[in-house]
Amino acid sequence: MSNSVISIENISKYYRLGKTGSGRLREDIRNWVAGFSKKKSGVVDSGIWALKDINLQIYEGEVIGFVGNNGAGKSTLLKIICRITAPNTGSITGRGRIASLLEVGTGFNGELTGRENIYLNGSILGMQKKEITARFDEIVDFSGVEQFIDTPVKRYSSGMYTRLAFAVAAHLDPEILIVDEVLAVGDAAFQRKCLGKMKEAASQKGKTVLFVSHNMQALQNLCTRAVSLHNGQIAGIGSPEKVIGDYLKREKHAETSQHFEDINTAPGNNAIRIRSVELKPGFLAGQQVIDIRTPLQINFQFWHIDVEPGSLIAGVHLFDMTGNFIFDICSEALHNVNGLIAGSCSIPGNFLNDASYYISLVFVKNTTERLFYFETCLQFDVEDYRKDTAWFGKWHGVVRPDFPVQLRPVTHA
Amino acid sequence: MQEEEQVPWKIASHSGWFKWNLGELWQYKGLLNSFVRRDLIANYQQTVLGPLWIFLQPALTTLVYWIIFSKIAKVSTEAIPPLLFYLPGVIVWSYFSDCLNGSMYTFLHNAALFGKIYFPRLIVPLSNIASHSIRMGVQLLFFLLLYYYYYFTSDIVNPNLYVLLLPLLMLLAALFSLGAGLIISVVTAKYRDLDYTLQFLLRLFMFATPVVYPAAIVPPKYEFIFWLNPLTPVIETFRAAFFSHKPIHFDYLFISVVTVFVILCTGLALFKKRELKIMDII
Repeated sequence: MSNSVISIENISKYYRLGKTGSGRLREDIRNWVAGFSKKKSGVVDSGIWALKDINLQIYEGEVIGFVGNNGAGKSTLLKIICRITAPNTGSITGRGRIASLLEVGTGFNGELTGRENIYLNGSILGMQKKEITARFDEIVDFSGVEQFIDTPVKRYSSGMYTRLAFAVAAHLDPEILIVDEVLAVGDAAFQRKCLGKMKEAASQKGKTVLFVSHNMQALQNLCTRAVSLHNGQIAGIGSPEKVIGDYLKREKHAETSQHFEDINTAPGNNAIRIRSVELKPGFLAGQQVIDIRTPLQINFQFWHIDVEPGSLIAGVHLFDMTGNFIFDICSEALHNVNGLIAGSCSIPGNFLNDASYYISLVFVKNTTERLFYFETCLQFDVEDYRKDTAWFGKWHGVVRPDFPVQLRPVTHA
Repeated sequence: MQEEEQVPWKIASHSGWFKWNLGELWQYKGLLNSFVRRDLIANYQQTVLGPLWIFLQPALTTLVYWIIFSKIAKVSTEAIPPLLFYLPGVIVWSYFSDCLNGSMYTFLHNAALFGKIYFPRLIVPLSNIASHSIRMGVQLLFFLLLYYYYYFTSDIVNPNLYVLLLPLLMLLAALFSLGAGLIISVVTAKYRDLDYTLQFLLRLFMFATPVVYPAAIVPPKYEFIFWLNPLTPVIETFRAAFFSHKPIHFDYLFISVVTVFVILCTGLALFKKRELKIMDII
């Protein structure tokens, strides 16, 4: 393969927690004095390894994606590569200029005009003056603020400000481009520009892109290789499909089934006892995680031990993680039936939007009397899936049905 | 379009005390320029008098000193016209304290910038000194104009060849502030409360420096300690070179050079050692 542009060797990063580095001289002196006796007693100070023994080669021309939960070490690794913070062990060697798309507008000064800020920001980002001069018109053109180029940027609207800032960053032309969660900020147009810039960089010879996102879809479509981090260590390297699939399976372990054998300890009360509840996704061939296409089946069993006669209704409540009540559906009424009862409910595919959800079960007697509410008994995530689309932003809406929208030209007589 | 060679770089877990990459610093000279421009432009935006403040600040200060220390307190100015006596002290002192105040907040004021992007951090204090040097240069010009006027109207004003030392004296003040500023910047980044103490100490330090009085009024008992202050020989040599009213203390000037050199080396080494680590605690 082509040669390596960044070579990461044994990188570890330790963050101290607790009292050390409290920022108060008195406490630090106390800790420092205590340090002498501590060595004898063998107490170790607490802290976390944000990164532990990372070894990684990044090659010229690849778009490498980083996945991992919050706190897995992605951002710390990128910060070390960007030389913003130092590692505790190991070294990184590389060549070429690094730029990050999140540094948009760093160092802008409100008092200066757009023109002066282009020069200031450009040189902060590492451009030489003649480079900026050579691209000045291009930058102004791209930003679309030529009318206001000699106005202090504090008078700009926030949109103009962002456009100008992005224009400078976009014309930096680095050998290594770092894109950290750009899909989480900015409007649709901004995202499109960022992705356009990434694709452009990736298609050029000699450019390397490091991409961090929580958007698995974008990662899968744009990256040539993916790295998954887990608790500061590399959990997998390889093709994006494989790495992302493994990551989702590992991290998004949903609460998809609960079983209780003993009627006396099962959740419930003296009217209802839950025996089992489970979520069965109807995976397509090769699928490992629930996405928006996946039909879901909810199965549950319970003991109805109510002595008084009456009707019984079981209901399924679906919420998303922000607490929105998505739906409330219930069974037909059963009259005077006791003992073990099974229930089920199907949610078709192409119905829920991508989000995290939880389900609660409700048991009601005689239409109004709530017997038992089994809260948050199932949890699951629905991942995004898009066939071909250039849009990677959040798809709006609570539901995402696959209703056809049709267009046809109207011909006038 | 541009075919520059790809710059190799290396990140290691431990930065040495003296591993200054001067080539890299030179590469970023454009950034230094930009920072200086920013400081000079942004500082006088939306002020009525604009850059005129560069003159007004020392002029007003000198006037106040003249009234308080010369007219009211009757502190000796060694027969030098009071305006000309105070101005060198005021210029040197404000140059020193402005530079110091700029560089001692290197980390605190630039945390957002440092947290996002890499460039040699030393560029920030250096550009701060550069922009204050421009102001100081303008103020020196103001002094020379005044001096020129007195040269023809008063006979005490008589320069000697040591006026050529002036750039060196100013460099000494600049390097002193840089060294001290770097040390303080590293320490205050961690211990914020030192900040208040330092502002107070800085004010005291001004009175330990012969800004509003001549060094000659210091009792001989304290003379040695008094002259250990690196700024004392700077201001006294400045005056002695322009007025020839007393001999220049080259021995103290030499001690000052050595002191400043030691402080500067300490500052640079500490800064280099800590510049990246500080980002984790700021």
